[in-house]
Amino acid sequence: MQTPENRSKCRSRVLISGASGGLGKAFAVECASRGWDLFLTDMNAPALETLAAGLRRSYNVDVITHACDLTDLDARLALFERIRVNSLRFWCLVNVAGIDYEGPFFEQSSQQIRTILRLNIESTLDITHAMLKFRDPCATFRIINVASLAAFYPMPVKATYAASKRFLLDFSLALREEVRSMGATVTVLCPAGMPTTPLCIEAIEAQGWMGHITTMDTGRVADKTLNAALAGRPMVIPGWVNRTLQLLGSIVPARLVAALVGSRWKSAQQKRSLDKQPAMP
Amino acid sequence: METRISEKTVVVTGATSGIGLAVAEELVRSGASVIGIGRSAERCAAAQAGLHRLNPEPWVAYLTADLSVQGEVRGLGNQVRDLLDTWNRQALDGLVNNAGTFSYWLTLTADGVELQWAVNHLAAFLLTNTLLPMLQAAPLARVVTVSSGSHYNARLDWNDLQLRRHYNGLQAYGNTKLANILFTREMNRRLGEESTVRAFAADPGLVKTDIGMKGTPGIVSWVWKLRRSGGITAAEAARGICYLLTEPSIQDVPSSYWKHGQPKAASHEAQNCLNAARLWKISSQMCGLPVEECYANA
Ligand SMILES: NC(=O)c1ccc[n+]([C@@H]2O[C@H](COP(=O)([O-])OP(=O)(O)OC[C@H]3O[C@@H](n4cnc5c(N)ncnc54)[C@H](OP(=O)(O)O)[C@@H]3O)[C@@H](O)[C@H]2O)c1
Repeated sequence: MQTPENRSKCRSRVLISGASGGLGKAFAVECASRGWDLFLTDMNAPALETLAAGLRRSYNVDVITHACDLTDLDARLALFERIRVNSLRFWCLVNVAGIDYEGPFFEQSSQQIRTILRLNIESTLDITHAMLKFRDPCATFRIINVASLAAFYPMPVKATYAASKRFLLDFSLALREEVRSMGATVTVLCPAGMPTTPLCIEAIEAQGWMGHITTMDTGRVADKTLNAALAGRPMVIPGWVNRTLQLLGSIVPARLVAALVGSRWKSAQQKRSLDKQPAMP
Repeated sequence: METRISEKTVVVTGATSGIGLAVAEELVRSGASVIGIGRSAERCAAAQAGLHRLNPEPWVAYLTADLSVQGEVRGLGNQVRDLLDTWNRQALDGLVNNAGTFSYWLTLTADGVELQWAVNHLAAFLLTNTLLPMLQAAPLARVVTVSSGSHYNARLDWNDLQLRRHYNGLQAYGNTKLANILFTREMNRRLGEESTVRAFAADPGLVKTDIGMKGTPGIVSWVWKLRRSGGITAAEAARGICYLLTEPSIQDVPSSYWKHGQPKAASHEAQNCLNAARLWKISSQMCGLPVEECYANA
């Protein structure tokens, strides 16, 4: 079992990817508030450093930052090299970094589609593989992968993204069984929309009351997910409405769900473009 | 030792709209010099031009800073000092910690702090501490922090001060307004009875401003529109704040909480000195200030 004592003895850390984004930052703050030392990575170096300084001040924890583009293999190798050279050890890995681009498949550029696959799938697997090697031998190794509620359904307009999250969901559940004997656990988080950026908030607003009841603040999600990981639970779906949706989704045939999601998206899209039109005098 | 109002210099945060702008207007009308602080360079320039039209006599300047970012709050210290130097003034006679914000969803700032906690409480705490030497250089100086009647329902949860794990926008707002009063009380206690600097927390009442409509969901804006219709104007609210800034006779009145120029009993929670001391320590730590520093000369 992971106890604060053996953790501080080894000074092992939590690695969080996508740490300066909405959910990643919430994980970083929640971990720091629990007194855990951190290793944060994201693209934007100044943002990472500002966050790290804030966490050091507020919670008196040790924070290392490493800014890099995780879709780039060389950047990932440099990250692993830094960890190796400094003999850093980890008892927890939170894979938050992930991306989606607005719009239907054919309207996205091929570069955008590659980036979704590289970040959501390739880099998550690569980091997980490397971090298993750097795990703290005197602690249970906790892996948290951030999938999405979108992982449960084929999602028109988010076809690539949703499928990439499905990949992470299945991968996580299978890996969980493989690493059990190594003293590791895997917890996959499947959140609905979270109000992290103005764009996300606009999308939540566009869904009306449905948006409101399915939306959950990042702080609550991070707290609940870390508790679930410490308890070794396989999956977290924050919010009972979302759990119900997932249940319904699992009963109804996939192509029906896809048709339903598609039509809901269309009406939300229409409402949004209506809102944007200037009011008639 | 009285400084004439035309020789006074006051810093007002959130001076680009609502109550803060009204306070700046009233000060400028009476001839005081004003350093306004706002987050948008455009709105700062517009407010400055407006104040100049009201009365071209006093010095007026605006500094742009996002008060949710601690680095920018800290940076204001030198900027204010530079302004005082160019105006050939030795001291600050007042600081109005007015900037405030409401956030329906949990938002974490660049420093990893809940947005309302950062802007409504920590920025006031840090800016006051940063400007304190300039305030102490004046014969008499006032720090007025704009609190609110919403503090009456608030109660701090020391295990989750910023309500990160159980966020509710209104509850988080009330907590920051309670923190404003606790900060004011502890500040006065630390400064001691002989201090020339006095802090007050002001309850402006219900005021017709746009605070509940900035970046909030449609329904919340609508509720605020309805609610504020029963409120007073920002200019009326500003009067009570300017009274606390300038009235010499209240220097020794022990009350920390005031509404419309009258002392008022704050909530039970707000009167707890232990909470005030505890909050001060935590706030110092969150702002990177020396935790045990005490300003009392005794
Ligand atoms: N209205 C009421 O009924 C009421 C009641 C009790 C207490 N209060 C308190 O009164 C104070 C003023 O509120 P108000 O009603 O006048 O609201 P307001 O009109 O929205 O004014 C708030 C001011 O703060 C500024 N501000 C917000 N976030 C900032 C940030 N991150 N950095 C820098 N400046 C920032 C705003 O700038 P922008 O101009 O750029 O938006 C604006 O100048 C607040 O502390 C509020 O809690 C209000």
